[in-house]
Amino acid sequence: MSFLQVIFRGLWRRPVRTGLTVLGISIGIAAVVALVGMSSGYEKSVSGQLDAIGIDVIVSNMQGGIMPKAFDESVRDRIAELPGVAEANGTLMQMLSVEDAPMMVVYGREWGSFTWDQFKLIEGRLPRDADEPAVVLGKLAAEVLRKKAGDRIQVETGDFEVVGIVDGQSVLENGAVNMPLPRFQEVSGYDGRVNFINIRVPGGSSPAAVDELCRTIEEMFPGLRAVKADQVVGTSQGFQMARAMSWSTSLLALVVGVLGVMNTMLMSVFERKHEIGVLLALGWRRSRIMALILCESAAMGFLGGIVGVVLGSVTLAALQMAPAVRGFLEPDLGWGLAASAISIAVGVGVISGLYPAWRSSRLSPGIALQG
Amino acid sequence: MNHREPATGEVPLFEAAGLAKEYDDGRVPALCGVDFRISEGEFVSIVGPSGCGKSTLLNLLGMLDRPTAGTLRYRGKPLHQTGDPASYRAREVGFIFQSFHLLPTFTIEENVMIPTFGFPATRAEKRRRAKELLEAVGLSHRLGHLPVKLSGGERQRAAIARSLVNRPGILLADEPTGNLDSKNAGHVMELLLRLQREHKTTLVLVTHDHGVAAHASRVIRMKDGRIVSDAPGTSAP
Ligand SMILES: Nc1ncnc2c1ncn2[C@@H]1O[C@H](COP(=O)(O)OP(=O)(O)O)[C@@H](O)[C@H]1O
Ligand SMILES: [Mg+2]
Repeated sequence: MSFLQVIFRGLWRRPVRTGLTVLGISIGIAAVVALVGMSSGYEKSVSGQLDAIGIDVIVSNMQGGIMPKAFDESVRDRIAELPGVAEANGTLMQMLSVEDAPMMVVYGREWGSFTWDQFKLIEGRLPRDADEPAVVLGKLAAEVLRKKAGDRIQVETGDFEVVGIVDGQSVLENGAVNMPLPRFQEVSGYDGRVNFINIRVPGGSSPAAVDELCRTIEEMFPGLRAVKADQVVGTSQGFQMARAMSWSTSLLALVVGVLGVMNTMLMSVFERKHEIGVLLALGWRRSRIMALILCESAAMGFLGGIVGVVLGSVTLAALQMAPAVRGFLEPDLGWGLAASAISIAVGVGVISGLYPAWRSSRLSPGIALQG
Repeated sequence: MNHREPATGEVPLFEAAGLAKEYDDGRVPALCGVDFRISEGEFVSIVGPSGCGKSTLLNLLGMLDRPTAGTLRYRGKPLHQTGDPASYRAREVGFIFQSFHLLPTFTIEENVMIPTFGFPATRAEKRRRAKELLEAVGLSHRLGHLPVKLSGGERQRAAIARSLVNRPGILLADEPTGNLDSKNAGHVMELLLRLQREHKTTLVLVTHDHGVAAHASRVIRMKDGRIVSDAPGTSAP
C-alpha cells in the first residue's frame, strides 16, 4: 500500500462530497481558462493582425478604453513627412451592429495604402477606387452575415455592394467589414477623421530609431500615443484592463473554490478525528498526518484543475462558435494556459488544506481514541 | 507490594513513580500517583471497576498521553521527557483496543500494514509480513475485505495482527474482549496469549474478566485511580 492509495481512500470515503468539491474548484478553473483564454486570444489576434498587415508603429488616442477616439486625418500628412517614416495611412475602425450581426468590426481604409495588401481574394474583387461604395468582407464576416460577392449590404446609413470576399490572414481581419475610408467616414458621421495611423518605417531602421520616431510623434501631437506594433498588446490600457478583469473575475471564482475545499477538508478532518487518533496511536507522525490532509486537498485541486481545463476549453470552443464573438478573437488555449490553470488548482488545494492540516495536527491520540 | 523484587542491576522495562494524570485542569483525577514495575516478558493484567483509571494508565504506557505528575521510566530513561512519541508508538509498542479501531476505508491487509509506514523495509517485505500475521490469526482468506465485512472476533484478530506487524517488544491491550461474546472472547484471548509467547513480548492487558486476568503472571487491581493490590496470577512462575 502506498501513500497515494491512502490519499485516494481518504477522498473516496465520501465520493459525492469529494466530487462536488472537485466540481466547485473546476468551475473556478474553467473561469480562469475561459476568461484568460479569451483575453489572451484577443491579444494574440491583434498582434497577429498587425503582423499580417506589416505595421511597424501604430498611432492612436488610447484614452477611450478599448475603442480609441477619432482625430483629424490631417495628422497623417504631418506624420508622413517625418524622417524615418516610409509610409503612413489612416484607418477608421468602429464596432457596429451590421444587419443581423450584433457586433462587427468595420474598417475604413485609405484606398491604395498597404493596409489592403494583406487581403487574398477568395471571391470577387477589391474596390475600384477610393470612392466606390463597395465593401470587402473577411471570410468569417461573410459567413456570419451570409453574404457573397454581388450581394447588397447595409452599413449604418449607407447601402453598399459586397464586391469581394477575402482571406485577411488574421482572425480580426477575417471577421471584419472593409471599405474605402471616405465612404465609411461619410456613413458613420466621422467626416475627415480617423482613429488609427499605421506607419511603416524604412527597412533596416534600428529599434532605437523607431523609439525616437514614436517619441517625436507623441511630442508633436499631445494626446496621441505612438506604439511599436510588438508593444501594442503590452502597453494598451484596453488590453491591460481586459487582462486585469479576466484575472480578477477568475480570482473571485478561485476564492470560492478555496472556501469550498477548506470546508470539505475541515469536515473530513472532523469526522475522521477518531481515525487520525488511531493513526497517531499506530505510530504515524503528525507531520505525516498533515501531509496526508494537504495531499488530499491538493489532489482535489489537481482533479478540479483537470476537469476545469476541460470545462473551460469546452466553454471557449462554444464561445468561438457564438456569432457575437466570432471574428473578434481566436480563443487561445495553449498547453501553457492549461498547465498554469492546473498548477493554480493544485495551489488552491494546498492553500485550502493548510488550516485543516493544522487542525489535524492538534488532535491527540488519547482523546481521539475514546468511545 | 511487588511480588518480585528485580535482581540488583536488572533495569525494569517500566518503572512508575508517583505517576498521576488529571483531566480538565485537575477536576478529574484519573490516576492518583501510582508506583509499579513491569519486567520484560511479563504478562501483567490490570483489573478494576469502570472509571478507575485503567485506560489512562495504558495510555501513559503507550505514550498516547502525558502524565501530569510523576515519572515513568522505560528501560531506565524517563519516557515522557526523552522519548519521541511517534517512534515509540511505532517501534516499541503494539496497541489493541476494545473497539478494534480498524480503519473502515482500508482492507484488512492494508490495516495491518498501516503501522509500517515510514519503516525501512520494502513494500514486498511489509506485505509478506502482513500476510504471515494474518495467516497466524486465521484470516488469510480475508486479506482484501473491508472491516465491515468481518465479525467482531475477526476484526479483533486483524487488530492483533496489526499490533504485531512492527515486531514491538510490548503489547498494550485495553479490554480486547470487551466487545465480544464469550465464545469469540475465548478464541481471541487464546490467540493473544499464544502470540505473546511466540513473539516473546511483554503484555499489559486491561480486563474486566477475572477469569482472563487469572492467566496473567501478575494481576494489578485498581480502584479510584490507585493500585490496591499487585499479586501473582495463576500462571506466575
Ligand atoms: N479525556 C478525558 N477527559 C476527562 N476525563 C477523562 C478523560 N479520560 C478519562 N477521564 C476520566 O478519568 C477517569 C478514568 O478513566 P479511564 O482511565 O478511562 O477508566 P477505565 O479505563 O478504568 O474505565 C474516569 O473518571 C474518566 O471519566
Ligand atoms: Mg477503559
